[in-house]
Amino acid sequence: MPRAIVILGLVLAACSPTAAVDADPPPPTTAEEVASIIEASEVPVIVNVWASWCVPCRSEAPLLSRAADRHGNEVLMLGLNVRDTPNGAARFIGEFFPDAAIVHLADSNGGIPIDLGGSRGVPLTFFYRQGGELSFLHYGVIDERTLALQIDEIVNG
Amino acid sequence: MEFTLLAAAAFAVAALYGMLYWEARHGNADRCAGNLFETAVTSAALGIFIGRIVAMLLDGVSPITHPADILLVRAGVSTVGATLGALAVFAWLSRRELIPMADGISAAALAGLAGWHAGCVARDACLGTASDLPWALAQEGSSLTRHPVALYAAALFAAAAVAIALWKAYRRPGFGIPASTALIAAGTIRLLVEPMQPSLSGGPVWFYALGVVVGVAGLVTFRLSRFSGGDATGR
Repeated sequence: MPRAIVILGLVLAACSPTAAVDADPPPPTTAEEVASIIEASEVPVIVNVWASWCVPCRSEAPLLSRAADRHGNEVLMLGLNVRDTPNGAARFIGEFFPDAAIVHLADSNGGIPIDLGGSRGVPLTFFYRQGGELSFLHYGVIDERTLALQIDEIVNG
Repeated sequence: MEFTLLAAAAFAVAALYGMLYWEARHGNADRCAGNLFETAVTSAALGIFIGRIVAMLLDGVSPITHPADILLVRAGVSTVGATLGALAVFAWLSRRELIPMADGISAAALAGLAGWHAGCVARDACLGTASDLPWALAQEGSSLTRHPVALYAAALFAAAAVAIALWKAYRRPGFGIPASTALIAAGTIRLLVEPMQPSLSGGPVWFYALGVVVGVAGLVTFRLSRFSGGDATGR
């Protein structure tokens, strides 16, 4: 049994991810700017609220990155970094979203998600139809089926 | 939010237990000395754990540097990893009487899967691709109706579970036949519902097809060994 644990540890270590690439910290934004982006967008918008200190955000980040790769031409994906440090946010983007088609913005006091109708908790994911109508708000870690279903809703609904 | 997954898991465990209880009253598990319920629940729990680690590795997140992420089951569990992990744990725990144990759990495992899919009502996760069928359902605030795909899966798994349980109770199929049939049923049902599942990358269809092929191979092997007078259990 101890040998099996050592082998498992070596396998997991060998499969560990590569180092994060350098990324710029997201620029600061306001509730008005985010609202105007959502309303003016020519495609539906997904707003994902995240922070580098949030463990569940890290868990869902690879899924969001894949969704951006697959649906980047059908939806606009906004990453709203809240209550975070610029360095922490930049490291997170470099680790999980180095090439993803996601526009990241920073909200240092975390009030924008509440203005949008959400809460202070992270992660949060807002799904907006074209024109700015809120279709769905998901609290907590999002799973693949929910993400795929809600993208289909805002794109085809 | 994780509590809704626990609710769905409770549906699965209740269905598994209910089927094993019914089968025990009809003598279906009398060939097994091991505790089927304990073995099945342990296998499923460890399978989910393994599937979560596989999903993290596939996403490039190290379970060593981020061990707390393992607990975030909702963020993704690899179906292939979880299934193979659960089967491996089951095989290890049942190694002294693998075929009787596999036969014993065959109907209950399908019932457990039916319960898991029926648990979509607790998770608000029953809907699939768009459909105009009369029984299609719409999400709140939406005009787009969809297949209640998880309920389709639940109904199909429940029907397969009941059919195999009745078959075992009244026709007494030979060693390995119920387990092989259950594997074929599980793979076929997943193949049927997968095109209706909302997905970013498509489900592991190849894996479900492989399950059907392995099930058919098992069925043929056990049938041939029966006709040739041998015993596939090696007894």
